[in-house]
Amino acid sequence: MIKRNQLVLGNKSLKQITEDIVAPLERLPSKGWLGMFLSAKALFLFYIITIAIVVSTGMGLLGVNHPVGWGTMIITFVFWIGIGHAGTLISAVLFLFRQKWRTSVARTAEAMTVFAVMTAGLFPLMHTGRPWLDFWLFPYPNQRGPLWVNFRSPLLWDVFAVSTYATVSMVFWYIGLVPDFATIRDRAKNNIRRIVYGALSLGWRGTAKNWSHYEMLYLLLAGLSTPLVLSVHTIVSFDFAVSNLPGWHTTIFPPYFVAGAIFSGFGMVVTLMTLVRIGFPEFKDYVTIDHMEVMNKIIMTTGLMVGYAYGSEFFIAWYSGNAYEKYAFINRAMGPYAWSYWIMISCNVIIPQLFWFKKFRRSIPVMFVVSIFVNIGMWFERFVITVTSLHRDFLPSNWGMYAWSRYDTAILVGSFGMFLTLFLLYLRLFPAISIAEVKPVKNVGYEGGHH
Amino acid sequence: MSEIHNENTPDVNTPKTPRDNKYWLSLEQWGGDPEFQKLAETEFLSSPIREGAESEGQDGWARREFLKLMGASLAMATAGCIRRPVQKIVPYNKQPEEVTHGVSSFYTSTWSDGVETFGLLVKSREGRPTKVEGNPNHALSKGGLSARAQAHILSLYDPERLQGPKHNLQNKEKTNRDTISAKWEDIDAAAVKQLKKGGVVVLTGNLASPATRAVVSDFCQGFKAQHITWEPLAHDEIREGQRASFGDDVVPYYRFDDAKVIVSVDADFLGTWLAPTTFTKQFADGRRNPKTMSKLVVFDSGYSLTGANADVRVRIKPSQQLDVLMGLAHEIVVKKSFGKYAGNSAVKTALEPYAGASAKLSISKEAWQKLVDDLIHFKGKSLVVAGGLQTRTEWSHEVQVAANFLNAALGNDGATVDAKIPLTSVRASNKEFLGLIEDLNAGKVKTVIIHKTNPAYSAINSGFTAALKKAEMVFYTGDRMDETGKQADYLIPDNHAMEAWGDSESYKDVISLQQPTIRPMYDTRSVQLSLMTWAFMAETGPKRLTTPETFYDYLRNYWKDDVHPKFGKGKAFEDFWEEALQNGAIGVANLEKGSSERNFKVEALSAIKPVKAQGMELVLHPTSMFMDGTLSNVSWLNELPDPVTKVVWDNYASLSIKTAEMMKIAQGDVLEIKVGESTLKVPALIQPGLHDDVVAIAVGYGRTAGGKVTNGVGSNAYELVQYNKTGAVYSGLQATVTKTGLKTKLATTQSHHSMEGRKMVAEATLNEYVKDEAANNHKHKIWSIWSGHQYNGNKWGMAVDLNTCTGCSACMVACQSENNITVVGKKYVLEGREMHWIRIDRYYVGSPEDAHAVFQPVMCQHCDNAPCETVCPVLATVHSSEGLNDMVYNRCVGTRYCSNNCPYKVRRFNWFNYAKLIEKPMHLALNPEVTVRPRGVMEKCTFCTHRIKEARVKSRVENRELKDGDVKVACEQSCPTGAITFGDMNDPTSRVAKIFNEDKRAYALLEEFHAAPSVRYMTKIRNNDKGGETASHGGGHS
Repeated sequence: MIKRNQLVLGNKSLKQITEDIVAPLERLPSKGWLGMFLSAKALFLFYIITIAIVVSTGMGLLGVNHPVGWGTMIITFVFWIGIGHAGTLISAVLFLFRQKWRTSVARTAEAMTVFAVMTAGLFPLMHTGRPWLDFWLFPYPNQRGPLWVNFRSPLLWDVFAVSTYATVSMVFWYIGLVPDFATIRDRAKNNIRRIVYGALSLGWRGTAKNWSHYEMLYLLLAGLSTPLVLSVHTIVSFDFAVSNLPGWHTTIFPPYFVAGAIFSGFGMVVTLMTLVRIGFPEFKDYVTIDHMEVMNKIIMTTGLMVGYAYGSEFFIAWYSGNAYEKYAFINRAMGPYAWSYWIMISCNVIIPQLFWFKKFRRSIPVMFVVSIFVNIGMWFERFVITVTSLHRDFLPSNWGMYAWSRYDTAILVGSFGMFLTLFLLYLRLFPAISIAEVKPVKNVGYEGGHH
Repeated sequence: MSEIHNENTPDVNTPKTPRDNKYWLSLEQWGGDPEFQKLAETEFLSSPIREGAESEGQDGWARREFLKLMGASLAMATAGCIRRPVQKIVPYNKQPEEVTHGVSSFYTSTWSDGVETFGLLVKSREGRPTKVEGNPNHALSKGGLSARAQAHILSLYDPERLQGPKHNLQNKEKTNRDTISAKWEDIDAAAVKQLKKGGVVVLTGNLASPATRAVVSDFCQGFKAQHITWEPLAHDEIREGQRASFGDDVVPYYRFDDAKVIVSVDADFLGTWLAPTTFTKQFADGRRNPKTMSKLVVFDSGYSLTGANADVRVRIKPSQQLDVLMGLAHEIVVKKSFGKYAGNSAVKTALEPYAGASAKLSISKEAWQKLVDDLIHFKGKSLVVAGGLQTRTEWSHEVQVAANFLNAALGNDGATVDAKIPLTSVRASNKEFLGLIEDLNAGKVKTVIIHKTNPAYSAINSGFTAALKKAEMVFYTGDRMDETGKQADYLIPDNHAMEAWGDSESYKDVISLQQPTIRPMYDTRSVQLSLMTWAFMAETGPKRLTTPETFYDYLRNYWKDDVHPKFGKGKAFEDFWEEALQNGAIGVANLEKGSSERNFKVEALSAIKPVKAQGMELVLHPTSMFMDGTLSNVSWLNELPDPVTKVVWDNYASLSIKTAEMMKIAQGDVLEIKVGESTLKVPALIQPGLHDDVVAIAVGYGRTAGGKVTNGVGSNAYELVQYNKTGAVYSGLQATVTKTGLKTKLATTQSHHSMEGRKMVAEATLNEYVKDEAANNHKHKIWSIWSGHQYNGNKWGMAVDLNTCTGCSACMVACQSENNITVVGKKYVLEGREMHWIRIDRYYVGSPEDAHAVFQPVMCQHCDNAPCETVCPVLATVHSSEGLNDMVYNRCVGTRYCSNNCPYKVRRFNWFNYAKLIEKPMHLALNPEVTVRPRGVMEKCTFCTHRIKEARVKSRVENRELKDGDVKVACEQSCPTGAITFGDMNDPTSRVAKIFNEDKRAYALLEEFHAAPSVRYMTKIRNNDKGGETASHGGGHS
């Protein structure tokens, strides 16, 4: 039997683990954190102002037009929703598969999921022409007839999928946090902290009964979340796949989208984790190079799957004999938006190939750069799907270009402000690694460890 | 409008006697009313001189009070369509008898741009005109209406119209120092004093109104004044050519419907030349049945709409115009010895230099020979036309003579060319105009009255403006402080055509009456009344000018004396007048053929000297939207894409692909065009199918004082016009083209011009069609697992005949007017946000250098399996039981998913709150039957669902079933060629059902996609002698 690598370095005691993990919560913020937080906050405020201007003036401020009816908002929506998938995959799927290495990255990955879904969830609401009437998208009893929603519309399925996903992943995340909140409450030196974390910990006492309930609920929620990993992005892909547009109307979309989502999600986890390791050096013992390597392997694998999907799309476009479909794909690779297609191919298919080499898989600078490219590539994948399919469809007379405006840039950049603000707050206020889950695996890889 | 409303609110409860409101109806209802005669006599008792000055309108007609009320209450009623603060509304205390709220009345009227006359039906709702439609009773326009004729309603509601007379205080340099409001009586006093000094010139554009012509002529008689007619599209070369050839100073009538072969040398008769709507109708009539269709061969130095509709289009440069005509004449008369001039030695000598002229042209030998044979074969049934600004060259006279000779030689004169029905309205003369400038400079002219022409803009290069400063006093009747207005001492705004009585006669003896449909909105006075008032005050001029108190009286007298005896057919005048008002037009019978062949004067031909080609040649041309630029402040026309280039909000220098490549010019590069001493900066447009030595620029743009909408749009190509002793030269001048290094963007509504091998427009040649009526109309085997919708009542459908559609774009403006479609401006067209519900796709086919064009109107296809309906999450777009794809604006949240999923991309989104931007009183032009859409909702063609409802209500009231033709949708109504047919597909006898079921040319756009559209297109047939070899262009199938 191959000897396992240590999951927690430094042969820590249980107390040390607790202290390491709650340290960022119990000390004053560092200048680095403060600087980043204030920048993120400024960007977030800028984002809010941009949204206010767009909502009060009209969607016309963005580059969406005729024929490109969907643009930055939908692209960025799919981008953020995709990011979310890694968190659920790590925390739920890997939990069910009893992957012990997940423990130290699960919490942060899940936080990322929640924030990404929050960031994403705003877009479909904002991108409508009359956002103040968005509640009409929900089937609720009303006195307008009653007017009901159209259950045939994929956009409606999307509303359900995303809201379900947001709810379940938030609950799952919160339940995992409860024992850790209790730990912080117990360590609290002032009343406010005690009261706040006391309330958050829902009266957790750490009794056997508590643990028994907790384990059961956690398992159930993991089971509930697992299908969501597949369903959410499948349904998001339906927005495209169920329509008639050449380049959208493709049966490969659901698995392709899910693979892409996991790909991009892990890309983002790696980006954030490398940053967390820099910001909180004590976490290096918990989020080890081994952890990072595993995630890099997943990035490479899903990258290959995505690459396969790209190839398959082209094959089917040719094999279908459908001229419109064929043109849509030729246009992607050679048309006026070819640059975006080749950015996507380079970032998503070519660059991750670096991870075939162990040296690169285990190099923090390399993985950071690659993960950034993956993020860029996956944003462009959605750009390619949305814009290049719409901009040249059936009637050549309709062909046009997306009219990118500075509001598009503002919305895209600003959404990072929202995400980062939430994420930085999370790092300061919540334990970024699950204390309760890390402790049981502390002996893995050590002599005499019981596993 | 609020102003009108406010000043009238107190009157609401005490309406003036409604005695004369009947005037405003179609008169059907008062036919037998005995009271009417009495009322009519008492109606015009008020004198504009005695009483009018006291009331705020000079034509102090009591009956207008009533319309004021209607207008006011309606304005408030419609204000409710958009979210606005609640305003108090005042109901009718006594409802006028003829007005039913919510029901439109139609009044016959007429409109003319000075050359072409249209019969109108003005749709009026509660006292305000909202739309103009074609009057089918008019013998020439026959219900067709050009884009401009429809859009001119917006000029009525233009917020920048002068609201009263103005006095320009000029400084010593005679530039405008200040403008103050003036009173009519002061102006009248000043005018009479000035007019008595003599040296009076009345400078007008072409006057289509015979009564107005009579007023002007009476006035000139009274004041010993000179009447000079000038406008840039003068067409005087036709008259000169006719005079030289036949001795007749006329612009003849052409019968395009009778011609089997039509050869046009730069005469854009489908777009801008003379009476394009009339000609379009005729042309379509000659081609409606493809089996007997005519053949159109166009030698085109720009890329005109006529060229785009040609069966054979040959690109030329202006210096080749004579080569074409004389070359054809040589082939026919000398080589083939055809016709009565065959043996004539003078003719032979004159034509000799043009032997083999076709070698210079980019036309194949076979095609040329076929054309010669066709012309001979269809002798007396062919037609050669030449003209337009493109032929307004140094050799324009010769071009006309050559064309006349061809018609004479082919026996067309007296057949397809009819000099007995001259275009009487066209009197403009460049020669007289230049004479006026000379007289002004010589100080011979003391007073100038300028009406319906704007030479400070359109003759900017002629020295007119400087010369005008030498006149002591200038009156200008324009509706705004435009380029010429700034030069005038007094601005005496004329009533808008919709506010005034009048008549119109373009072609001789086809006369129509102009009824006012709204009370003058401002303190304006009809120009005729101004002239009459001055003559009355100066006590000069014939009695018929000074006695009547209003122009209405003058008009009636004129009709009584001049029109009634000719057309009255023994009817009493009152009956005749009534009937004329009811029908809107008279004189139909006189279009019958009765002309005889004239003798061609051979010496005119002998005077023709060959033209030397000179490098890059300038071509100036009008556009069908703007023509000379008069209506350029109408936003609809600015955003109406050029039928060929699809550019909006700009003019440009068109260059051929090869020339652009050679000079490394990209689209949008700003070029400097130098002609003689004049230069013009204008962006480049790369135009397929243009001659390599041609730079073509549209006139009518570059207004500096035309109004907020048009100022700064494009550049003024009139600056390149060269004036010499004999007249104005617009084209054929040597031009130098240089790049300035600047770049700009041209906004187009269609940026891709090739069909990419997809069968959007099915096209077949006549030979193919004769062999197989379904030629190039590939049908797909389609099956579905679903049963489809059931339509138990009506099922609406539309058919568009691509063979008669010329792409004139009249339907686009009709739709815009009918459905309150907003204009977004150049910036947003560049971003792809134009709002037209019906658009005309234009594809180029064939080689790019020699591209042919095809047109395809595309509107919502109202699919049975509508892709938009399934994807809307809130059910804002749903299927009706009659096959309509309904759009529920109120429910729409604006996800735009429907638009993404629409394969035809016909849906339009309200990106901003456009309705809020409608400036008063423009909102009066809104159609109250169609919702004004708020921001953030999707909109699209509704198949004029409100018209369907209206027709249904009408049929129910009449207790009958809807029958075919009851519902006429807006685009169909205005289409001059009748290319659009709308009707019930469940009625097997309807015209649409017949086309759907029986016509072999009918096809559904993207049929294989199986959205099952309710629109069918019919294959375009090109009569170009090709065939056998399939799919020469555009027949490609996906």
